Amino acid sequence: MDILLFISVLLIAACGLIYELVAGTLASYLLGDSVLQFSTIIGCYLFAMGIGSAMSRYIDRGLAYRFVWIELVLGVVGGFSSALLFLAFAYAQGFELILYAMVLVIGVLVGLEIPLLMRIVRKRYDFRDAVAHVLTFDYLGALGASLLFPILLVPYLGLVRSAMLFGMINVAVALWSTFLFAGELAARRGLRAGCVVALCALGIGMAEAKRIAYAADENIYADEIILSRDTAYQHIVLTRFKNDVRLFLNSHLQFSSRDEYRYHEALVHPGLSAVPAPRRVLVLGGGDGLAAREVLKYPHIESVTLVDLDPEMTRLFSTHPMLTTLNQASLRSPRVHVTNADAFPWIDDNQESFDFIVIDFPDPTNYSLGKLYTTAFYRAVARHLSAQGLIVVQSTSPMFARDSFWCIAETLKQAGLRTYPYHLYVPSFGEWGFVIASAREYNLPLTLPAGLSFLNVAGLPALFQFPPDMTAVPMPANRLNDQVLVRTYYRDWKDISH
Amino acid sequence: MNVSRRRFAQVGSAALIGLSVKADRPIAGSFVNDSFQLGHQLRDRAAYPPVQHVEKFPVVIVGGGMAGLSAAWRLNRRGFKDFVLLEMDRQAGGNSRWGENAITKYPWAAHYVPVPGPGATYVRELFEELGVLKNGQWEERYLCFAPQERLFLFGRWQEGLEPAVGLSARDQFRKLDDLMAGFREGRQFTIPMERGLGPGAADLDRVSFSEWLRAHGLDSRLLHWYVNYCCRDDYGALASQTSAWAGVHYFASREHDDGRGTLTWPEGNGWIARQLLQRVGAFVRTDRMAHRILRRRRGYSVFAGTTEYQCEFVIFAAPTFLAPHLVEGMGPLPSFEYSPWLTANLTLERLPASADFTWDNVVMDSPALGYVDAMHQSVRTHIGRTVWTFYWALAEGSTAQNRQLLLSRDWQGWKDAILHDLERVHPDIRTCVSRLDIMRMGHAMARPTVGAMYDPTRRRLATLQGRLLFANSDLSGFSIFEEAQYRGVRAAEHVLGLI
Repeated sequence: MDILLFISVLLIAACGLIYELVAGTLASYLLGDSVLQFSTIIGCYLFAMGIGSAMSRYIDRGLAYRFVWIELVLGVVGGFSSALLFLAFAYAQGFELILYAMVLVIGVLVGLEIPLLMRIVRKRYDFRDAVAHVLTFDYLGALGASLLFPILLVPYLGLVRSAMLFGMINVAVALWSTFLFAGELAARRGLRAGCVVALCALGIGMAEAKRIAYAADENIYADEIILSRDTAYQHIVLTRFKNDVRLFLNSHLQFSSRDEYRYHEALVHPGLSAVPAPRRVLVLGGGDGLAAREVLKYPHIESVTLVDLDPEMTRLFSTHPMLTTLNQASLRSPRVHVTNADAFPWIDDNQESFDFIVIDFPDPTNYSLGKLYTTAFYRAVARHLSAQGLIVVQSTSPMFARDSFWCIAETLKQAGLRTYPYHLYVPSFGEWGFVIASAREYNLPLTLPAGLSFLNVAGLPALFQFPPDMTAVPMPANRLNDQVLVRTYYRDWKDISH
Repeated sequence: MNVSRRRFAQVGSAALIGLSVKADRPIAGSFVNDSFQLGHQLRDRAAYPPVQHVEKFPVVIVGGGMAGLSAAWRLNRRGFKDFVLLEMDRQAGGNSRWGENAITKYPWAAHYVPVPGPGATYVRELFEELGVLKNGQWEERYLCFAPQERLFLFGRWQEGLEPAVGLSARDQFRKLDDLMAGFREGRQFTIPMERGLGPGAADLDRVSFSEWLRAHGLDSRLLHWYVNYCCRDDYGALASQTSAWAGVHYFASREHDDGRGTLTWPEGNGWIARQLLQRVGAFVRTDRMAHRILRRRRGYSVFAGTTEYQCEFVIFAAPTFLAPHLVEGMGPLPSFEYSPWLTANLTLERLPASADFTWDNVVMDSPALGYVDAMHQSVRTHIGRTVWTFYWALAEGSTAQNRQLLLSRDWQGWKDAILHDLERVHPDIRTCVSRLDIMRMGHAMARPTVGAMYDPTRRRLATLQGRLLFANSDLSGFSIFEEAQYRGVRAAEHVLGLI
């Protein structure tokens, strides 16, 4: 009896600490600045425990009954805390408010536990022994939890399931207490039923934890998801709101069907229309076929080689009816040759030359993608350029990532190319920039294909004008051995997002 | 059923935390490139078969490591083609040997060269020929890609190998930098070391590097860990086993940088060996261990297998400690010490769950040196499989005991030790590795012990005299590519001047 009682103390202490650690870790993960998050969460939690202890004096009767109830509620709230917070982060505004409210509730309940328990056992032991025993096991439990959490729980179970596991332990203690304090409990049956229901709920939660994380993920997207696919290379998500179809790759927006014509017209025509008698075009990236659609507007183009890493991506954009409407089935055109390959090795191994090369890769968010924005890569690409040929490079936003934009321009320059940066406004992206690069001088085209929605000849010079808040800043070139761009890009976007 | 307690605890705890127990991949592998049997035959003066053929060459090079290949490269480049290179192993390259599988080429030992300074003229000349240096610019693809190095300490990875924690440690690192900047200005610590070596710094060779650091008030645990790591990495020895001269040389001979100025290739320095072999492979005879070198009236006879090679000059580019076992009448060389090493190549069918892999990955307080990722130098954006080269210098304790350990532990034992070390940072490593091959080297690299740098025997052998010319990097006191290349080229130049 005694030892069982003290093991309960040990377990509930461990549970209490786990909830606190889960909240602290989650806040550090999601909000950053771990020192601040841990300090405020621990402080808030201890303060709430104080409130709980103070409140315990107002509980007069039915101590055991209330104790079991507290354990039960604590198990459910604490157990689901992590999952709820993940979902709150994805769904709701005011994540911090929910976080601290949760910490307060758990803290108050934990603060109630020990005073109540001491009063329950007071009848069995003298005061000195009760205090010594209960607190000894309380602190032992805390030690165990604090070791278990970083070494086993986080690496093997993750935050969502760790919290649920300890929620189950907490409810198990509640259930067990109904036997332990059977003499002092009237409504044992109801309590036990409640415990069993809570255990089942938490057990299902454990089993479904992955789906909960997925739900949180899906709610990052504002609109209805019409397609979600994990390929060997990326996570593809298509969303739709009324007639607006959006493509996300690894949660980064690639286009919105409502304004992508602005982006793709500006990507292709200022360069391609300036090439005299272009016949062969290379598109690197651009598996959505939208750049290819623009290229096909030139009847004299004989072949378009499109190199995209992900076969799922190009298959999707050649077959899905909604998407082939959007890209006018460009990927199925006999003039378009799709190759699924890693662009850099492909460029190294290929011998052909092209009159126009479109480089439309995702932004340089990591060192792997950063390799495709280096002097070494641009030098290798330039070897494929015909005498009159031009390159155009998707170069992120000169407004939100000004340093990154000019770093890309400088990298092209140091690869031995002349550069002609320009920009436009794409509502779903904001200000966006491209760089035309070539071995020869570039002059604005005098004609453009018919039927464009955004570009006209008169408007072209304005694209090449940069207002003062976007003008060139001195940046070093991005190199394979020193990827300045990835660090710069990270800093640029960190400055303007949460 | 007999379930061991440990296994029970594993399964039990896994079940407790709701883990689906993933079956570990079966891991194949073996010891590879073992050469100690041949070495032991030499040591034990085994009986060799009688001579059946005699061949005559003006020059015979013994040893096909970087020094021997460099000597051959120089002779050939100067239009001298009447020579032969005898290599004991099946594959030339020595410490620059490499391997290859379906995924990538990978190194077996030396895996990088720091960007050579202006003083390393022979290295620069070679690199210009190989297209590594073009119009004063280093080829971007041969410079180590970003991110270069990371260190696992206090439960997380940090960028760079110098532990960036602790205020007192930071002060001490700064002080070490300042001290080394002073030595750098003194220009006595150069690569090749021969150029700067003078009597001025002889005092440094009389104390160990760790004693010297303590005498200068540098006692931080983190700093000593770092310095020990550097000494283990370059010399296979602890700082307490390393001459302070060599310790200072490590830091003061090159500009301080954080790995961005490092030349490397998927197969490490095997790339250089391959380029050299493309040029001089025709002169190289592998599986030909020289077992006796005999002085004759005009020159030497080198015996290998059943052939006697009669020559005017021998360039002895093999490790110098072997010479007393080969050269008739040569006394022992007790002052030459070598560090035992072990390297392993791990084939990974998938990458462990840890983002942003770097080239060089080091774990603080591990007995090993960490691992290098062969696919890091690939221009691919998507990498699914790779090969890791795991380095382990057996520095702690006596070299004799460590050599014993190297030979006595079986492959299974080493495999488990290596995976256990990696599991600290990659808990899922056993589910990724499909093959693990191990190379054991009893005398992997020269160890610059206290007194070694100015040791009269070493200095005497390092000067090129007579017709038996010593060229191994161990004459510099430590085994690095630049020293081997310098000594090989210099020996070739010497011979060319006399022929």
